[in-house]
Amino acid sequence: MGKLLHAILVGLVGAAIVHIVVLLLVPQFSERDAWSNLAMKADFYTMTRLDAQPGSPTPIKSIDPSFYAAACRFDLADGMVQVTAPGPVPFWSVSVYDRNGHNIYSFNDRSATKGQMDAVVLTPAQMIEVRKALPDGFEGSIFVEAPIDEGIVVLRAFVPDESWRPTVAKFLDQSSCELQQF
Amino acid sequence: MLKNALLTLLSLAIAIGLGGGSVWYTLDAQSGAGAIRIGPWTAFPDIGTLDADPYSQARVARQGALTLGRAEGLSFIAETDSRGEDLLRECSYTIEGGFPTARFWTLYVADQALDPIASGRPHRAVLHSHEILRQPDNSSVITVAPNAAPGNWLPISGSGPLRFVMNFYDTPIAASTGLSDVKLPTIVRTGCNG
Repeated sequence: MGKLLHAILVGLVGAAIVHIVVLLLVPQFSERDAWSNLAMKADFYTMTRLDAQPGSPTPIKSIDPSFYAAACRFDLADGMVQVTAPGPVPFWSVSVYDRNGHNIYSFNDRSATKGQMDAVVLTPAQMIEVRKALPDGFEGSIFVEAPIDEGIVVLRAFVPDESWRPTVAKFLDQSSCELQQF
Repeated sequence: MLKNALLTLLSLAIAIGLGGGSVWYTLDAQSGAGAIRIGPWTAFPDIGTLDADPYSQARVARQGALTLGRAEGLSFIAETDSRGEDLLRECSYTIEGGFPTARFWTLYVADQALDPIASGRPHRAVLHSHEILRQPDNSSVITVAPNAAPGNWLPISGSGPLRFVMNFYDTPIAASTGLSDVKLPTIVRTGCNG
């Protein structure tokens, strides 16, 4: 009887250890995370639509059904990445995520010059280089310093009703995600 | 000898079964560390950030979610009504009250996995603050029901568990201060089919 109790007690302590280990390993070993899902859909520096297209399931969770969204993967080790999208839409917002899907930085259209979507994601070291002499084409950009290499940038745009669908779809389809050498 | 082997096996079974099962359970529950509860609504302001606790981090990785950033908005989820009873798709609800400050908000119905439920009709199962009808005191009454209702109507259909997801965009409540003063609408069950 004492041995059985002992075995159950050891089991419970083991359960606590397993709980902690599994919890900490889930992010490392998840094959369903946002990065893996995006990697299956598109290559680096390609804007991909995240909202559910007819006939295919939503690739990324937690996208509001009244929003359209697009994302691209980048690697700052290659250079800076500039994300732009033309034209006015009722609301847009941008988030920069690291490789594991952690939100590093976010902003919305109120932060941008004249509401134009134009952002540059770069490392602090690249920022120092840019500060020395601002290259052409970066005058109106929002600079996002991110101490990461690989990451994801997501652009979301609000679709208030049916009549806005073509405009918002065009906004995202014409968005670009370009590697900028310096 | 055999007894010892069996006891070891029991210990291992308890450790792996209970340890793994408890992680799986806590990751599916809409509560736990980092949650802020306002009435029936739950939000995870830190989810998806580097400050998040290990549970929130595991939840994000497992769902493959890209959560809203602080400057984008804050998401609230309800899985019970204001009396604490589970939300069901075969029931009708009234969502009533004022909404906190935000540039706009959206409200939609979702299933247990938080995937939006399609209404199956031309009227989408989504409402947002730009299209909503308001009371003289600026509050709103939203009817969630399978059949069309006057005023603000959010269609639902089918049966099974139901979640309400309310997203506030460009809102000061996403900053961690002041979340305790936020008032969210109540959810009242008005009737059920069958």
